[in-house]
Amino acid sequence: MKAILFALAASAAFLASPALAHFQLVYTPEVNLEKPGDLPLKMIFWHPMENGHAMDMGEPEEFFVVFKGERQDLAPTLEPITFHGAENEAKAFEATVPVKRNGDYIFALVPAPYYEQSEDIYIQQLTKSFVNKGGIPTGWNEPVGLPTEIVPLNKPTNIVAGSTFSGVLLSDGKPVPGGEIEIEYMAAEPDIDADRPGDPTASPMPGGALVAVTDADGEFTFGVPKAGFWGFAALGSGPVTEHEGKELSQDAVIWVRAYDLN
Amino acid sequence: MRIGAFIAAAIGFSVTPALAHTPLFSCYDNGDGTVLCEGGFSDGSSASNVPIKVKNGDGETVAEGKMDENSEFEFDKPDGTYSVLFDGGEGHQIEVPGDEIVE
Repeated sequence: MKAILFALAASAAFLASPALAHFQLVYTPEVNLEKPGDLPLKMIFWHPMENGHAMDMGEPEEFFVVFKGERQDLAPTLEPITFHGAENEAKAFEATVPVKRNGDYIFALVPAPYYEQSEDIYIQQLTKSFVNKGGIPTGWNEPVGLPTEIVPLNKPTNIVAGSTFSGVLLSDGKPVPGGEIEIEYMAAEPDIDADRPGDPTASPMPGGALVAVTDADGEFTFGVPKAGFWGFAALGSGPVTEHEGKELSQDAVIWVRAYDLN
Repeated sequence: MRIGAFIAAAIGFSVTPALAHTPLFSCYDNGDGTVLCEGGFSDGSSASNVPIKVKNGDGETVAEGKMDENSEFEFDKPDGTYSVLFDGGEGHQIEVPGDEIVE
């Protein structure tokens, strides 16, 4: 047993692949829509920056969209899929949501707590993603009322690569000072027809996770260096700290889209 | 004038990012003989009270009204060729041809 563990540790060290963070995805490739249509969404629990290990998702507790302050339940539209990760296959979910009217669509997912054996804790990442149709802003900067969430202070559907993204971390609706935010780049955007990662456009740098800490007002800022999707995860920011007798890390995740200014 | 409207329409339909106070206007065929249009401005400001004209193929106005408090306007779909003009004033006009209005 000890020998096996040692071998595992040695191989991990030998690969020199920093173990980065789990990130829940709510992914659709095009977040700025011009025409009405059916929006494909993929819910994948993954290590996106290293195009790494994917985790099995349980049946999500909630999935909804907020449009102009109106919340619509989308949980019945969820369908199980298999995500064929670069390292392994994992249970994931998909949904197809018709989008017609102009404005901001805020998608929110409350996944089932995931048991992380290595740490003997549960992880639950409450995740938001944003889509805009027609260029009309209708509330991307409003919270949707999750137990913990990151509310954007820059429009999340068109961050300029090279500029900054700021957000405020809330727990039970109140700002969280000193909250730890992990940051990841979606290095291999999923191919939504094949349910597998695309070609990686980045790989992890030395030094492990990218981290920001919220200030006294619960705000953080990160300079966004590259076009694509960036995820921000506040670790353990949620009010629920226990699940089935074990520690629960209830995290807030947000995804934003950056573009090059050409 | 017509050229201005045409240019605005072209801008409305290209994927040019809308910048401050660009008018935005979209119409949808409700599938029940009516058409719904919604408008607004890229800075989030309302388009309520903006005049709307529905024109036939000869350019004659067959219906007109104003965007309501929700920046919406609904009308009965005319027979044949038609277009809808969002008349936000000089530089803020968008004309949507009927054949681009789908369910």
